[in-house]
Amino acid sequence: MTDQHITTPETSRMTRLPALRRYVNLLGPMIMVIVLCIIMAFAEPRFFNVPNLMIILHDAAIFMVLGTAMTLVITARGIDLSIGAVAALSAIVMAMLIKDYGVNVYLAMAASVVVGLLCGFVNSVIITRLHVPDLLATLAMDQIYRGIALVLAAGAVLARFPEPIPFIGRGRVLGGIPVSAVVGLVALAVGVVLYRSTHIGRYAAAIGGNREAALLSGINVRRHKTLQYVIMGGAAAIAGILLTGRLNAVQATVGQGLALHTIAAVVVGGTVLFGGRGTMLGTLVGVLLLSMVTNALVILRFQFFWQLVASGIVIIASIGFYSYMNRSGDDDGKDET
Amino acid sequence: MCKIGVEMEGEKQPLLAMRGITKSFGGLRAVTDVDLTLHEGQILAIVGDNGAGKSTLIKILTGVYQPDAGEIFICGAKVEMSSRRDSIRVGVNAVYQNLGLVDALPAPANVFLGNEPVRRILGIPFLDNRRMREETERILIENTGVKLEDATVPTLNLSGGQRQAVAIARAVLVADLKVLVMDEPTAALGPEETRNTLALIRAVRDRGIAVIVISHNLEHVFAVADRVMVMRGGRKIGEVDTATSSGTEVLGMIVGSAVGAGAHATTPSTLGAQQ
Ligand SMILES: Nc1ncnc2c1ncn2[C@@H]1O[C@H](COP(=O)(O)OP(=O)(O)OP(=O)(O)O)[C@@H](O)[C@H]1O
Ligand SMILES: [Mg+2]
Repeated sequence: MTDQHITTPETSRMTRLPALRRYVNLLGPMIMVIVLCIIMAFAEPRFFNVPNLMIILHDAAIFMVLGTAMTLVITARGIDLSIGAVAALSAIVMAMLIKDYGVNVYLAMAASVVVGLLCGFVNSVIITRLHVPDLLATLAMDQIYRGIALVLAAGAVLARFPEPIPFIGRGRVLGGIPVSAVVGLVALAVGVVLYRSTHIGRYAAAIGGNREAALLSGINVRRHKTLQYVIMGGAAAIAGILLTGRLNAVQATVGQGLALHTIAAVVVGGTVLFGGRGTMLGTLVGVLLLSMVTNALVILRFQFFWQLVASGIVIIASIGFYSYMNRSGDDDGKDET
Repeated sequence: MCKIGVEMEGEKQPLLAMRGITKSFGGLRAVTDVDLTLHEGQILAIVGDNGAGKSTLIKILTGVYQPDAGEIFICGAKVEMSSRRDSIRVGVNAVYQNLGLVDALPAPANVFLGNEPVRRILGIPFLDNRRMREETERILIENTGVKLEDATVPTLNLSGGQRQAVAIARAVLVADLKVLVMDEPTAALGPEETRNTLALIRAVRDRGIAVIVISHNLEHVFAVADRVMVMRGGRKIGEVDTATSSGTEVLGMIVGSAVGAGAHATTPSTLGAQQ
């Protein structure tokens, strides 16, 4: 017969340790958090002082907001490199409306979110209609949004905004909890619900996991890609407001490096860059880990470039760990995840 | 199964009839003038060498491709299908070779993908994950006899047979399913999983659903099918009854050697006489 090519790779796909496997992605970053804490316990116990922990939360807040949306985008096998420029552009628009046009601060904030949503929409149109790959489309749009922000601001630094912008960016509530961190955690909580219990999250996983299957199931892939990028744009605008409030000032060059840091945090948290599998909880861990590392190095008075090196090491270590765990767990030799 | 019980001279209306189906890709004739008839509760196997046109034929049946010529009748009524949705609407669904599952999602999410039940809270539709889990467990048990230990693991971590069951559960969820098509359901399965999958196919048949199975494995074909249709070079070479035929005969037809060479016969009796 012509059909002796049949092997049995699938039979070994038994349900081994399902509960553990689900959290295996989190194991790497968790171990690093613990190692970092042990090191800091010896090197600089002040790391654990509540005010310092609040600084870490404050630092992490922006990336919680961005990471939530980025988790969705990456789960659907997308990526958004333009979020730094979107944050800058939407913040500049808000700042100019307030400063140059005397627009009500709440209206201006709403306008900045609308700008963010629009930028996300434009990204999605380029990706889904012009079929430009996500990476290249958002890379190009990053330049364009940045350019527009630079032209609009014309080199100016806009500063001293009315409340609630500074309050959101650097205010504290309940005896020291940063307002920005509350915003970040709320975003994550919304993200968890979005991810687990709505079509938006479910279809992001389906599109990223098996686009063909998603299409055959009648899922409107284009509409959901659009939704994801629009949400990402909105999140970038909120990040822009947080950034503006943090220094109570903004210029067109803010937010450079936001995209890469966010993507790093999401991936460190165990969301798979090739789509299909994401975790909001992991993103929280990833965001916190990167902020803790940066903070530790600052406290230990390492120079800035060491912070970059450390971030890079954390990223490689967690992805390496993740790949290792999956390879040893999957004996079917598949390498797609 | 066919609601309008048009009985022609005592003969039962076929559930599915394909007449003169022809399809080319550029200059390549993938399928040429193929007829196919399928009755309620029957399992028809389609066999043929690589490139014989099997997948193309069933993709036409499931609305993925449109034929250049030929007609398709469901319960005697002519149907036009321009998409998968159309085929599902007329009661034809397929489990493709790769099963069309999202590996990272658990079984219930896969079974209901694109068709999720929702619960509205403040007008916002939230996925009813609990109902999906319960329904999936029920559908799996009822249609396939498969019980999942843990309905929350990604389907990637299920066994091949369980994955097959999930794909079938998903396919039979279609309202008023009449024909289920399965492309290579036993490829890449071990002996145990194969046995289970063949049992799944019979279980679906027992619900009165007609099943079309594409397979390269004649042993499996003879174990499960009532009839075997042989294709070669895009044409239907013949059709035999598994009860009155043998693997050797069918193999001969597939490769076009002595036994099947001149046979453009379509009835088992003629073929039987040739042997
Ligand atoms: N979309 C397509 N475009 C061009 N040619 C195609 C397309 N689909 C199928 N063909 C060609 O049509 C012929 C029949 O292919 P088909 O996939 O139907 O064969 P098959 O019987 O399913 O083979 P296998 O057993 O290998 O799956 C082949 O020559 C194939 O290359
Ligand atoms: Mg095929």
